[in-house]
Amino acid sequence: MIPQIEFVRPKTLHDALSILAESGDGARVIAGGTDVIPGFQQGDLRLKSARTLVDIHHLPELKNVETRDGGLAIGAGITFTDLAKHPIIAAEYPLLKQAALTVGNVQIRNRATLAGNFVNNAACADSVPPLLVYNAVLRIQSHTSVRETPLSDFLLSPNQVQLNAGELVTNIFLPKLSASHSGEFYKLGRRRGTAISRITLAVLLKVTENRIEDLRIASGAVTPIGMRFIDLEKVALGKTIDKSFLKSLANELGEHVLSKTGIRWSTPYKLPVLQQMFFQLLCRVRGCSGEAIR
Amino acid sequence: MTVNFVLNGKAVSLVIAANRRLIDMLRDSLGLTGTKEGCGIGECGACTVLMNGEAVNSCLILAGQVEGAEIVTIEAIAKHGTLHPVQENFLQYGAVQCGFCTPGMVLSTYALLQTNPQPSEHEIAAAISGNLCRCTGYKQILEAVQKTVEEMNSAPSEHGRS
Repeated sequence: MIPQIEFVRPKTLHDALSILAESGDGARVIAGGTDVIPGFQQGDLRLKSARTLVDIHHLPELKNVETRDGGLAIGAGITFTDLAKHPIIAAEYPLLKQAALTVGNVQIRNRATLAGNFVNNAACADSVPPLLVYNAVLRIQSHTSVRETPLSDFLLSPNQVQLNAGELVTNIFLPKLSASHSGEFYKLGRRRGTAISRITLAVLLKVTENRIEDLRIASGAVTPIGMRFIDLEKVALGKTIDKSFLKSLANELGEHVLSKTGIRWSTPYKLPVLQQMFFQLLCRVRGCSGEAIR
Repeated sequence: MTVNFVLNGKAVSLVIAANRRLIDMLRDSLGLTGTKEGCGIGECGACTVLMNGEAVNSCLILAGQVEGAEIVTIEAIAKHGTLHPVQENFLQYGAVQCGFCTPGMVLSTYALLQTNPQPSEHEIAAAISGNLCRCTGYKQILEAVQKTVEEMNSAPSEHGRS
């Protein structure tokens, strides 16, 4: 049941930030509502002290997509439907489009927003692994300040982010990527539609003369929060890319994940699936068929 | 608070508590009970309506968020006492059993056909992936939609209404 609550619908982003500044601890932001409303229905503790809901879903300032410094600045309030339809995102940042199309279902994607997906730092946020491999930088505004923070710093720990009272994520910037980068995204859920992710993985690779010049790996759901594997990425730098190296890298990824999660009841299933997925994704990026790791 | 919107083509103005949802406005305030509430958390799609032409879960939208929007519910899909071809084919192909998911299924399908008049089987399945049916097993629903697609493409003028 949704409690008695005040609902405000500011006309501009400026007004929204003023209201957030004035309302203090009792204010919560609502955009698509696909997280907030189920949160109320399921007694989510994050909403327990909510007195005022500030609706930002209709604000045009949060829907813009524009090229900036060779990269792309995406309004934080863009819906996943609009994200998946955007021609530049499809062409330049295809992993984000792929992930967008795995979020919830049609009805959810028509309402749910990009920033809404990650501002609660749920491990299963599908947009996070692609955003991390694209080195996404967030613009965070309050009534009196503007700052920029990489998504990887913003995501602190499960359900904790670097966001102060009165602040709002307003924009997500994806830096320019070389044309020779190419990547893959994979999501495993219990079914294909309307599924909470069990494992998500994004890889982005740049190879020059058969040597790895850049490799970026990010996981979600299977780790406590969405995260990059910087140590593993460094191991791969300059290495000759062939199947045996990719297999060893896949095994090492498993070790890294295990060190983050410890052994869980699902480990005997998820770990080999993750390793296999990782290997297959990299093989697919390289355009070769990847037979199963043995 | 007062909420103004367009419901099934007619302007509506409602005074309502801020914690009420779109589905509450439809069912409780306006008596349009064709829209069903299943899970209440956006998983089953029984409460699907169209908002500005897009399929949405009316259980996940607060009353105040409907301000200025155009809402279409199942009550407006049949016109002048004649069922929409999708509805006809749902009956024809046994795609309705208990009927609880049907309004949502019809609206998800309707929204799909508005933007994609020739969907593949995969596209149809994706469009209704947010609508659970525990009776039919989906086969009959897919058949009904596919038949509708066939009919609409062979006789566009006959069914070319919005």
